[in-house]
Amino acid sequence: MGRVHLMYLHGRIYTCKYCQTHLALVEDVVSKQFHCRHGKAYLFNKVVNILLGYKEERMMITGLHTVSDIFCIGCGSIVGWKYEVAPDKAQKYKEGKFILERVKVVDFDGTNFWVSSEAQVGGSDADDAGD
Amino acid sequence: MGGLEDEEPPLKRIKSSPQESRSVLKNLPLIEPIGSSRDTMAKYVRLGDETVGSKGIIKKVEFVRIITRALYSLGYEKSGALLEEESGISLNSSTVNLFRQEVLEGKWDKSVATLGKIAQLEDKIVKSASFLILEQKFFELLQKEQVLDALKTLRLEIAPLCINKDRVHELAGCIVSPARYERLVRDDALHDNPRLRLLEELQKLLPPSVMVPERRLEHLLEQALNVQRESCVFHNSLDSALSLYHDHQCGRDQIPTKTLQSHQDEVWFLKFAHNGKYLASSSRDCTIILWEVSKDGEVSLKHTLMGHQKPVFFVTWSFDDCQLLTCGIEEVVRRWDVESGSCLQVYEKSNFGLVSCGWFPEGKKLFAGMNDRSVCIWDLEGKELEWWKGQRAVKMSDMFIMSDGTVISMNKETTIVLKDGQTRTERVILEDNCITSFSISRDERHLLVNLSNQEIHLWSTVGEPKLLAKYKGHKRTRLDIRSCFGGSEEAFVASGSEDSMVYIWHRGTGKLLEKLPGHSGAVNCVSWNPANPCMLASASDDRTVRIWGISNVSPKLVNACSNNFVINHCNGIR
Repeated sequence: MGRVHLMYLHGRIYTCKYCQTHLALVEDVVSKQFHCRHGKAYLFNKVVNILLGYKEERMMITGLHTVSDIFCIGCGSIVGWKYEVAPDKAQKYKEGKFILERVKVVDFDGTNFWVSSEAQVGGSDADDAGD
Repeated sequence: MGGLEDEEPPLKRIKSSPQESRSVLKNLPLIEPIGSSRDTMAKYVRLGDETVGSKGIIKKVEFVRIITRALYSLGYEKSGALLEEESGISLNSSTVNLFRQEVLEGKWDKSVATLGKIAQLEDKIVKSASFLILEQKFFELLQKEQVLDALKTLRLEIAPLCINKDRVHELAGCIVSPARYERLVRDDALHDNPRLRLLEELQKLLPPSVMVPERRLEHLLEQALNVQRESCVFHNSLDSALSLYHDHQCGRDQIPTKTLQSHQDEVWFLKFAHNGKYLASSSRDCTIILWEVSKDGEVSLKHTLMGHQKPVFFVTWSFDDCQLLTCGIEEVVRRWDVESGSCLQVYEKSNFGLVSCGWFPEGKKLFAGMNDRSVCIWDLEGKELEWWKGQRAVKMSDMFIMSDGTVISMNKETTIVLKDGQTRTERVILEDNCITSFSISRDERHLLVNLSNQEIHLWSTVGEPKLLAKYKGHKRTRLDIRSCFGGSEEAFVASGSEDSMVYIWHRGTGKLLEKLPGHSGAVNCVSWNPANPCMLASASDDRTVRIWGISNVSPKLVNACSNNFVINHCNGIR
C-alpha cells in the first residue's frame, strides 16, 4: 500500500490503539460528554490521519444526523465518526466536528518520543490523567 | 471575371466536392479554391484587390512589399525588381529610393531635403532623422579633419533642431577632445559601413509604411513557428523538427512499455541519474536496485544494493552521478558507489532514526533529517560536523539544499521555507492544505508541491515565491505520492496516483494530457529521464518498475481528430 503519509502532532495527543498513528490533540477536545455503543466518546475540532467513509443517516440520542465513519489510515480500524448534518439548531455546532471513541484511542504524551508505550490492548478505558 | 458569377465554370474545373466549394464560396466571396490552372491563379490575384489570404486580414500591398524586401535581403536583386514591376507595387516610393541613395552616397544636405519631401512624416520624426544624418555628417567631417566645417554643422544645423541636447554637448566635446571622439566612435568601427548602419537606424525611425523594415518576413514566420511550438502540448522534440511546410504538432505515439520485475516488495521511490544513464529504485524489501539505461533505451539490472534493515523510501544521486545516498525509514543513511555497488559509508545517530537525506552543493557534505525534527550534517567519512536542532518543524518531511545554498524545508505542515544560505532571509510558500512532499526542477527555478487535497501546485522559487499553476485529477488519500518535472525543457509534470495510473499534465496550461494505465497497484513515484525526454519511469505497489517510452519526433499534419487519442500500447516485456 505504498508509504502511508502520516501527519505528526506535537504535545499531548490521542493515538490509534492498534497502530499508534497520531489522531488528535488533547487540546482540541470540545466535549467529553458524548457516548457511543462502546462507551465514552469525545468531540474534537480537528482530527488527522483519517479516511472518511460514506455519508449515512443515523439515529442518535439527540436526533437523526448525517454522519460519515472515520477510519485510521494506518491500520484501517474504525475510530469514530464525523458529523456532516445535524437535524436542528441546537445540534448545529456539531457539524464538521469529529467523534473519537474513547476505547479506540490511547492518551499519549507526544513530547517524549522515546517512551516505548505499549498500546493498551484489552478494552478498558484508560483514566484521563490530570484533566 | 468577378467572383460569384463564375461559380459554375470553376467548379467544373476543380476536383473538389461541390458541396464544399459552394459553402466556401458563400463564406468567402473574395477567394476561390486554388486550382492548378493558370486562369484560376490569375483570378486569385485579381479578385483579392485589397486583401490576401482566407481571413482577409493581410493587406496585399504590404504582403508584396515584404516579399520584395525579403528577396532583396537574400540578394536576389533581379527577382526583387521583377516582382516590383510585375505587381506594380514598388518597395519604396521614388522619393524614398532617392533618399536611400543620397544617404549611402553621403549627400547629406540633399538627403535632409529629400527627407522633408517624404509624405506623411511627423515633424518629430523628421527632426530625429535629420539629427542622425547630420550627426553622421559631423563625424565624417571630423574624420577628414575638417574641424571648422564640423563645428559649423554643429552650430548651424544640428543645434537649431533643438532635440537631444545632451548628445549635442557630447558632440561639442568631441571637437575639443579627440579622446572623446574615439570613445564615441568605437562602436561604429564594428560595422564595416557606417552609412549602411545609419540607414538601418533611419529605417527603425521612419514608420514601416515608408520604409519596410529589414527581415520583416523572417520575423513574422519566426513568430508563427513560436506560436505553433508553444501550442503544441506534446512538444518534446528539438527545434530542428519545426518546418514551414506544415503546422507543427507532436504526435502521441507510444511504444510498448517495459515492465521491470526485480523487487520483492512494493517499490516506493525511483530516480534517474542526472546524466540519464542510470535509474535507482528503492523498495519496501529494503533494497535499492541500480538499473543501467543504454543509449537505445534498454534498461538492465546493474546492481542490487542490500544492507538496509528497513524499507528504503528515498534515494538521491550525487551531482556527478558516481554516488548514491539512500535512506531507510527511521533508520540510517547509506552512501553507495554506483560503479561497484558497494556501500561506502553508513551514517547514523544512535537513538535517532533518520527520515530524509541529501547532498550539500559541493558534494563534500551531506545532511540527514532526524525523527526528532533536527538535522545532522556529516562529512563524507562519517564525521558529524553539525547538528541543527529545531531546524524542521515537521517530523517526516523532505528537505533540499539548492546549489546556491538555499535550504528548502518544511516549517509547518502547510508551509515551505526557503532559507537563503548566506543572508539567512526566509521566503515562504504558504498553502491551505497539508503538504506531503515536494520536488524541485532541474534549473531549480520551480518547485512542485504535492498537497493532501489531491492537487499539485507549481511555485516559482526565484524572488518571492509565486503560485503558477495547479494540476488535478490524480488520486491521493493516504499514501505519499510523488510527482516530477519532465520532458524537453521540462514542459510536462508527471505524478503517480492511488488509482494505479500515471498522470501527465502540460506544465504551462495545466491540462491533463495522459492517464497511463498498466500498473496493478498504486503508483508511488515517477521520474523522467533528464537525458532522454521520451523516457518516463514509474514505481508501484505491484512490485514493478515500468518504463514508458513516448516517441513523438514525427510532427504530424494538423488534424482535428488527432485530439481524440487512443492509447495503443502492448505489454512488451523485454
